[in-house]
Amino acid sequence: MAITRRELISSIAKAGPPAAALAVCAGAQTLQAETIPVPSAAVGLLYDASICIGCKACVAACAEANNTEPDTRRDALHQAPSDLNDVTRNIIKLYKPENGSAFSFVKRQCMHCLDPACAAGCPFQALHKDPETGIVSWTSEECIGCRYCTITCPYHIPRFQWQGYNPRVTKCELCSHRLEKGQKPGCTSVCPTGAVIFGPRTVLLTEAKRRIKEKPGHYYQNRVYGETDNGGTQALYLSRVPFDKLGLPELGAESVPARTLRWQRRFYQYFALPAVLYGGLVQVIRKSVHGHVHEAQEKEKQTGLRAQL
Amino acid sequence: MSATTSNAPLNDTRWERAVPVYGFPVVNRFFLVLFAMTLLAFVLTAYRELAGLGPVSGMNDAFGWGIWKTFNVMVLTALGSGAFAVGIAAWVFRRKRLHALMRMALLTSFLAYACGLLLLGIDAGRPWNFYWIVFPWRWNMHSPLAEVAICMSIYAMIPLAVENLPPVLERLWYFDSRLRPGVERVERGLHAYFPWIIAAAYLLPGMHQSSLGALMLLAGERVHPLWQTLWLPLLYLGAATFMSFGCVAGTTMLCCVVWKRAMDMEVLDEAARITAWLIFGWLGLRLLDILFRGAFGTAFHADRFAGVFWLEVFLTSGGGFLLWRSLRNHKTQEMFLGYVLSSLGGMIYRFSPTTLAFTPNPESLYFPSTIEILVSLGFISMGVAGFLLIVKRFAILPAPLHEWHDMASYFRFRRPYIRWTGYFKHGYFGEHESETDSE
Repeated sequence: MAITRRELISSIAKAGPPAAALAVCAGAQTLQAETIPVPSAAVGLLYDASICIGCKACVAACAEANNTEPDTRRDALHQAPSDLNDVTRNIIKLYKPENGSAFSFVKRQCMHCLDPACAAGCPFQALHKDPETGIVSWTSEECIGCRYCTITCPYHIPRFQWQGYNPRVTKCELCSHRLEKGQKPGCTSVCPTGAVIFGPRTVLLTEAKRRIKEKPGHYYQNRVYGETDNGGTQALYLSRVPFDKLGLPELGAESVPARTLRWQRRFYQYFALPAVLYGGLVQVIRKSVHGHVHEAQEKEKQTGLRAQL
Repeated sequence: MSATTSNAPLNDTRWERAVPVYGFPVVNRFFLVLFAMTLLAFVLTAYRELAGLGPVSGMNDAFGWGIWKTFNVMVLTALGSGAFAVGIAAWVFRRKRLHALMRMALLTSFLAYACGLLLLGIDAGRPWNFYWIVFPWRWNMHSPLAEVAICMSIYAMIPLAVENLPPVLERLWYFDSRLRPGVERVERGLHAYFPWIIAAAYLLPGMHQSSLGALMLLAGERVHPLWQTLWLPLLYLGAATFMSFGCVAGTTMLCCVVWKRAMDMEVLDEAARITAWLIFGWLGLRLLDILFRGAFGTAFHADRFAGVFWLEVFLTSGGGFLLWRSLRNHKTQEMFLGYVLSSLGGMIYRFSPTTLAFTPNPESLYFPSTIEILVSLGFISMGVAGFLLIVKRFAILPAPLHEWHDMASYFRFRRPYIRWTGYFKHGYFGEHESETDSE
């Protein structure tokens, strides 16, 4: 009683129309959703690497503003974190090529992507993007500590606390607690040269473009990193050296989640396709179970031994 | 190993009935070693819960995932997808002879998933927050990891567990005649809902085994181009199907050799044929995808990625070839080797995107620490020990019909004092079946 052609065709015919209808509506829904909206009151940072003098005042100010303990793990004396880590949300790094060509500092902190990959992967929405300000922040109540955000973030920003029984995920949250009090984020409040400034994303974008217009050819590709990169980010970068040397990979204009999870998202839209698939499976298996039970009973009569299913 | 062909008129190797492995003690030296490993893993787990992940593992900021997730969950649940792959062949495509292997498939799946999920809970940094799993409005429906975590837990706890009930009920039925009416009532209810349970047991693993592949999609360019493709979910699912066939059929063959059971070449040939087709189909899809994406050139660079890739391709295709050849020359050794090689190839494939072919930025290395390896092995040992215990106490392993009668006479004459092994109670082996029915 292998699956017959008639049964196969008739079950496909039965399952086909609803499946096609659902697929079409699921596909149409996601196609619309794939244009990433910019939050109404999106705030952000503009960092101009060509002005930064690498004084690291912002690193200390960040630690102070977020009340994190100083990271003295390197020499047990100075606060000198080697990279972003479980107590460091902001860091200044230096890119200095061997051949003596132009060097550059770079400030690394969360980019607050318009379509953040960390939040796209976070199972219980512990990482979420504020619908108004667009700040991506982490809440301890929903985080299961799976560290998927450390894998998904294309900028390698969220860091997991490897010590202790109650680990946390650390990343820049744009000092949202200071913003509530009407203060600027820690890093922007101390920068002596104005290399990093805070403001609404639209204003920062205009300012960045003004700087490029003022000095054409000064900046790499005359381009603001984050305007469209990875679907757009709320931390914007200007630099004289190639962005990918500063840890800002060229990801294209489409955001990572939109590009990679396109089919995944369509498949699970409203759970429609899995539901149709389930219905079809039940149909086929019902018949199989019926036949199998019947055969087992026959065998029980033959052998006198209790049927095993 | 029997040389009897499947067409012989009196076929005493035909698997007709699942029979417990009798006449061997559960506790032997091997079992004690497994038990000790498991205990050690539990002690180390307690230490991990207090000290955090850093001190016990080689994981770091660049490699946020270690072997607990990437090997014990991603690789071993693929081996444990037998309930999915063999089940679909048996129930959906009605390869009826494969029903002989179903109990083995269900048991190996359940153990692999149970051990994997336990380790997933230990690997999670803040496992107490798992309770959000019962609040669907907190789920991030489009996250592959949420899909894996939720779907895997539900699958292992409901459909897979229920599918494993019949051997337990059967054991109770034989254990005491007073339990029979109750057991039969439960069985009737179970059979009524079986299609819905079984269908869920195929839909859910299909979803989470593919989502395991989708996990690494978000990692983008950090996964080597030989592996990173939009087809990752389908390829992960495909690898799980042939690996789990290898695990189920290979384990059954191994058990037959160890406990001197007859092998039903009709069933094994059927499984090997399906596995070979699955392997070649999967390999074809994998290579075509690499060709069409234009990533094939990177397979000829002299680096570790190319090495891992060719190792994987040679193992899977070699295993598939051996399986295919064993269908013609009926050499069980070749068939077994084919299963081992192809499963190893599949394991390497499932392990690569997260670990072997993952290049984090900045460059960093990951090698599991001793404690990490011991915990990983401990949870594998727990699964193996559970398997050994269960096949000796429940009717799981398929056997020819005469094995059941042999078991009856073995216990009647050699160990008449046994009461607690329900099957083996005097008089319940079919000889008096008609009398007990009329009670």
